[in-house]
Amino acid sequence: MFAPYLILLALFGVWPIIQAGLVSIEPTVINPAGGVKNFADVVADVRFVPAALNVVVFLVMYVPAMLIVVSLMSLLLDTVQGRWNLPLRLSYIVPASMTGATAVLIWYFMLEPSLSPYQDALHALGITQGNQIWRQGGLAWIFVAMAFFVGAGNWIVVQYGSLQSISDDVLEAARIDGANAWQIGWRIKLPLIRKYLVYMGILVFAAGLQVFVEPQLISGSVYTGIAKDWSLNQLSYDLAFQSNNLADSAALSLMLLVVCIVAAVVVIFRTDFFEGTGVGKK
Amino acid sequence: MTMEDVATETVGHSRGIVKTRGFGAVTGRTVVWIALLVFGILSVVPMIWLILAPSKTAKQLNDDAPFSFGSFAQYGVAWHNLLSQNNGIILNWMANSVVYTASIVVISCVTAVLAGYALAATSLPFKKVFLIITLIAMIVPPVALVVPLFVEVSAIGLYDNPLSVILTSSFYPFGVFLAYIYFSTSIPTELYEAAKVDGAGEFTMFFRIALPLSRGLFGMLAFFSFSAAWVNYFLPYVLLQSQENFNLSVGLGFLFTSSPALNPLNGAQQSLIGRPEIALASLFLAIPILIVFIASSRLLVRGVLAGAVKS
Repeated sequence: MFAPYLILLALFGVWPIIQAGLVSIEPTVINPAGGVKNFADVVADVRFVPAALNVVVFLVMYVPAMLIVVSLMSLLLDTVQGRWNLPLRLSYIVPASMTGATAVLIWYFMLEPSLSPYQDALHALGITQGNQIWRQGGLAWIFVAMAFFVGAGNWIVVQYGSLQSISDDVLEAARIDGANAWQIGWRIKLPLIRKYLVYMGILVFAAGLQVFVEPQLISGSVYTGIAKDWSLNQLSYDLAFQSNNLADSAALSLMLLVVCIVAAVVVIFRTDFFEGTGVGKK
Repeated sequence: MTMEDVATETVGHSRGIVKTRGFGAVTGRTVVWIALLVFGILSVVPMIWLILAPSKTAKQLNDDAPFSFGSFAQYGVAWHNLLSQNNGIILNWMANSVVYTASIVVISCVTAVLAGYALAATSLPFKKVFLIITLIAMIVPPVALVVPLFVEVSAIGLYDNPLSVILTSSFYPFGVFLAYIYFSTSIPTELYEAAKVDGAGEFTMFFRIALPLSRGLFGMLAFFSFSAAWVNYFLPYVLLQSQENFNLSVGLGFLFTSSPALNPLNGAQQSLIGRPEIALASLFLAIPILIVFIASSRLLVRGVLAGAVKS
């Protein structure tokens, strides 16, 4: 029964990593001897440090923004029971249907001062030309906005669900003790869903580290070249498909993969998220 | 709390009503409502814009108010123009998206349910090791494996073959985890034991006991599998090369970069693909997923995470 999944796991979960490991130490043009020096070559690539900085800036904005807004909105949503709750939740998951290329199209229009539904707001900010927004150096926040827009709503609904798992007795007891809505939210509900928030934070971090689609599409369509090799994953892609340097590409993606695996191991063994599932911290 | 509850819990139970006490509380409620509504409006605005966009000509899209409506006939014109691209290749992309997604949903859900059951209820060796590997694979984003998968797929000669996308995307550790939790929490172990005493083998138990009890689980697994497969971009973008093999998501990206719609310097100037056409193609990608989301919103009520790990 386990066999069909085991085959997929071995072929497309484990084997690609082994094969990428083998490819990553093959000889390259700059390093005919091959070996682990390829990893050093990638880090020494002139594009590596700028891309790494971009990703760090992206993560520093993206992860906290997701955590803060999602916690806040799911707590607010939880205080509104009754018939308006469902329409609100439905509206929040609408943006999740607009990912990838669709998101790029949407944001192009939302941020283009001559076309945007928010033109008044943009003009008020002194933005009258598209190139005031789309310029190198200021792209991180646009990509954060795009990723945030696609992901936040779904997570709000998920964390609202986590809040529903809090027992009514706990909340009732707090209310009898005279806690107001704010105190219940901050002191009781939030700590009780903490582990779900930590789990989300790590998933969001791991996904953010791999940012690719938004800069790649913007750079390939709207503003040619503006975000070329902007993220580490784009660099890995270009190494493989533009420079024909599969070894360095594999080396770079393995480095990113290792960070994600470490994050995963932290969640599994250092948090209480998987408590009671047969693995994880006891 | 079990996954069974996750699937069957209904909305609108009346707890958590905050009593309004005095002026401060009323102001507080107002602020809460404003925040919730503003967030809701911001979430919906782009979709409304996207639905209206193909009703206008490229010129109207430029000159008219963002939320104006052009005409219904214009949707037809935009569709006609989309069909002009490469002899209606968009139809290929749509068909591919449907075929790829359907295959992925079926293979991923079936393998996940079987594996989750094996982990939860059978005497599988190395259970804990498999479980840990599955958890790691579930947390690591699929994007992280794209380049390694490309290396592997080229080596085994499946590059630019739709099978490469279908098979690699059918690896579904999150589904295995959900199924494992489901089978180990919501079906009492006494049931398995009783069946075993009665002489039922593992397959009999699975098909006669576990499977009939797991309709809610299948719904949940299919939902997540579908939402990932339908919009998948990076993996097919890397694994496929021929236009006729693209799914809609990659095809749309291709329209972006090959038509002058968003950048006048791109592609053939006489192309009929303009902004309304791109918007219409985006709608074809967005609407199915939106419909599935709305139809499954009931599944998400009680929380995927809380439901999944609380026993």
